[in-house]
Amino acid sequence: MLVLDQVSKHYGAVKAVDGVSLTVPEGQTLALVGESGCGKTTLAKLILMLEKPTTGRILFDGQDLAQMSRSQLKGYRRQVQAVFQDPYASLNPRLRVASIVAEPILAHERPDRASLKKRVEELLDHVGLPASAASLFPHEFSGGQRQRIAIARALALRPRLMVLDEPVSALDVSIRAQVLNLLADIQQEFSLTYLVIAHDLALVEHFSTQTAVAYLGRIVEHGATEDVFGAPSHPYTRALLEAVPQPDPDHVLPDAALLGEIASALDPPSGCHFHPRCPVAVPICPRERPAEVNAPGAGHTAACHLLAAARPLEHAASSP
Amino acid sequence: MTDVVQAPIPMPRMAWLARLKGAPVIPLVILGTVVFCAVAGGLVAPFDPNDADLDAAFQPPFWAKEGSWSHPLGTDNLGRDILSRIIAGCRVSVIVSLYAIAFSGAIGALVGMISGYFGGRVDQVIMRLVEIQMSIPSIALALLLAAALQPGLGTVVVVIVFTYWTWYARIIRGEVLSLKTRDYVAFARVAGVSTPVILLRHLLPNIMNTLLVLATLQVGQVIIFEASLSFLGLGIQQPDVSWGLMLSDARQYISNAWWAITMPGIAIMLTCLAANLFGDWLRDRLDPRLRQM
Amino acid sequence: MTALAPVLAIEGLKTYIHLKRGVVRAVDGVDLTVGAGETLGLVGESGSGKSMTGLSILRLLPKGAGKIVAGSIRLDGEELTTLPEKVLARDVRGRRVAMIAQDPMTSLNPVFSIGDQVSGPFRYHGGLPRQEARAAAIDVLQRVRIPSPEKRLGDYPHQFSGGQRQRIVTAMAIGRGPRLLIADEPTTALDVTIQAQMIALLRRLQQESGAGIILITHDLGVAASLCNRIAVMYAGRIVETGPVREVFRNPAHPYTRALLAAIPKLGSRGRRLVAIPGQPPSLIDPPAGCRFAARCPLKVSACDAYPQTTAVGPNHSVACWRAGEAV
Repeated sequence: MLVLDQVSKHYGAVKAVDGVSLTVPEGQTLALVGESGCGKTTLAKLILMLEKPTTGRILFDGQDLAQMSRSQLKGYRRQVQAVFQDPYASLNPRLRVASIVAEPILAHERPDRASLKKRVEELLDHVGLPASAASLFPHEFSGGQRQRIAIARALALRPRLMVLDEPVSALDVSIRAQVLNLLADIQQEFSLTYLVIAHDLALVEHFSTQTAVAYLGRIVEHGATEDVFGAPSHPYTRALLEAVPQPDPDHVLPDAALLGEIASALDPPSGCHFHPRCPVAVPICPRERPAEVNAPGAGHTAACHLLAAARPLEHAASSP
Repeated sequence: MTDVVQAPIPMPRMAWLARLKGAPVIPLVILGTVVFCAVAGGLVAPFDPNDADLDAAFQPPFWAKEGSWSHPLGTDNLGRDILSRIIAGCRVSVIVSLYAIAFSGAIGALVGMISGYFGGRVDQVIMRLVEIQMSIPSIALALLLAAALQPGLGTVVVVIVFTYWTWYARIIRGEVLSLKTRDYVAFARVAGVSTPVILLRHLLPNIMNTLLVLATLQVGQVIIFEASLSFLGLGIQQPDVSWGLMLSDARQYISNAWWAITMPGIAIMLTCLAANLFGDWLRDRLDPRLRQM
Repeated sequence: MTALAPVLAIEGLKTYIHLKRGVVRAVDGVDLTVGAGETLGLVGESGSGKSMTGLSILRLLPKGAGKIVAGSIRLDGEELTTLPEKVLARDVRGRRVAMIAQDPMTSLNPVFSIGDQVSGPFRYHGGLPRQEARAAAIDVLQRVRIPSPEKRLGDYPHQFSGGQRQRIVTAMAIGRGPRLLIADEPTTALDVTIQAQMIALLRRLQQESGAGIILITHDLGVAASLCNRIAVMYAGRIVETGPVREVFRNPAHPYTRALLAAIPKLGSRGRRLVAIPGQPPSLIDPPAGCRFAARCPLKVSACDAYPQTTAVGPNHSVACWRAGEAV
């Protein structure tokens, strides 16, 4: 449904997103994971058209966003909605819930009062809030309830794609499961496609069907979630997985869990960005950017020279 | 749906008046008196402000040896009652403040919002204009405008608006720069809400507090500005009464009738002080981040 | 860990915060002990009172509003709650009890060099001459694995990465050999790979220094990988406490169990999370009985009275009327 083709976004010298190609298939949940500076938030902004890519194309149903006419763009806006991380910042404190939820509808349609009221109440009901919530202000709700309001608002136009930017990371542990289950339910009910931006790997494994791992503006590994977590093929993915603390006292974190710091996006390392921290780096790593090569599982790829060396044929096939 | 969510507890909505709780009383009383005099000055003033009575010229205030209660604050060179003239002068102060603040606030807010929200080239051009405007001395500008137009109340308002809109524009622009990165603005853009609607629904209500604080803090400055212009003869003209004009008239007699210049001076000072104290309180109450202003 | 005489013993601690809306019973009857060389995990959600408990020990409560209203806090047998503020500031804070906060920038002054900030306490409180204080600073920065610290003493906080800053704050905390270290969400602001480094560092420091550590966290994974003992807080009270293995393997309080079931774990793909319905009670007017009762699947009429703390295993106790029952 949504295809990114060699998309880059530069802010001055910083390559926040550096040649990313990704496909978000209809009905799936694609998770984009990575640490700070990996470009996942910038990518979300590009897809939501809050920013324009420096180079590359973003295609929605085969149509380039940059080439769309005004009315086509309006249609795109209807079909792509978002839920942001901080439910305290994403709701205008001066508007009542009814106005917040109705806003996307009023941007595209002119419904009469009664039908608008009914739609708002239905939306609130879908996210598990009582109709009486409509007349209150955001500050009268807890964080979890506010996130439900944000979800109701995103749902208002019956979109096809929802971008979820860290949808539960600002919420308390006991509230997260409520919201995650709600998101899973409405995905079923409205056959939504999700693009989830997240840093919590356990959540990603639980919630997504496809996973893309990003490091310093590039996608280093991408595939079905069970393949990426079951057979992590990029050394960075492996290190990331090993570093997750588990709620199990017998799980031992590796002591030197990944040496060094995440490099600055201002001055990323040459070749493979990960090479200074990589435990298995070889001489070619600082010299050349690795191409994406196949990893175990259908459609599972990783951008690593070692993998390419192990599968020379595919490497040859996929490099220009 | 999956889980039951408790209905939120509604909070009682504050009545508007209740928000004034804790406001400084004395400044409010002073400002209230000034506004009252502006509206109903004719009813409370003991004399007509322009009623000259040369026999009663240069009477000192009541506590002085030759003073009398018939002219509590004394009389000026033409025997006009100073108290009545101060009361009458409230009207000019209030009218000038209202118009000047309304126009400079509206123009400044609009320009500031546009500059901050659109950014880029638009912002560059507007901010350069603002800087040029701010580098022109306002008295020189006033002289120029007064020469081009006619001195009078209208000119005073135009000069003040011309001088002060930049102040609003800069502060509102800064405010909007931070507001526009809020997620609810981002969401409105994602949802396809049009730009004028975003400005009106999401930005304007959130800068109202700031505007209110700036407006209150501007009252004192406007009153002084008007007084200065009138003092220089560029502002209010006879037979209208203004505090600045009173100062100007009384200046020549400062050695034998100190009260004629002191009384309007005190009126200006008290009103400005009251407006600033009230503005400070309002700022701390509504928008503590503005404290550096 | 063997239970020697505890470094810290808190009994019946109540810390209330006075707001316009009413009195928030942030900490409402907390008992806990921390032994030498032991790491106690104080686990709970926001508003559970875990951070307030930590701040109460150092009496760093919100000025004018927060107050310890009852209970005792003893450090090596010495009562802290009655200690004059001056003595507390001079002898306890930063010296016998040190703190690591979530955001390292709140502990570092952006206009002073790292060298000044780390060596400062050695010079001005420890009375060391300049050169020795510098050497001590280099030594302690080495212990937190700052690469070539002697070259970086002149650098300012913004020249370090987030993970390095948190390690520098840790160096400042352990510099003067505290008996107790309070780490409030020390890894929450860090990326996963950097968090793993910080966890490894805290583990090593615990073994080297023999100080007691209170780790305040909402992250059960972090708690499991660092702590010897866990105390679970809910709405101002500790509902369960026990050795880490016991609490994670045989959680006895329904809240602990619900929390463990509500978080996604690596390798548990596709299973639906068991959400905890509702939300925590207001601490301005908390329910008289068990505070979790309104959300508890096991609620019975006895829950209207606050449950006694009962032992369910060695050093493992729980405040629940139905603790003994197999579920």
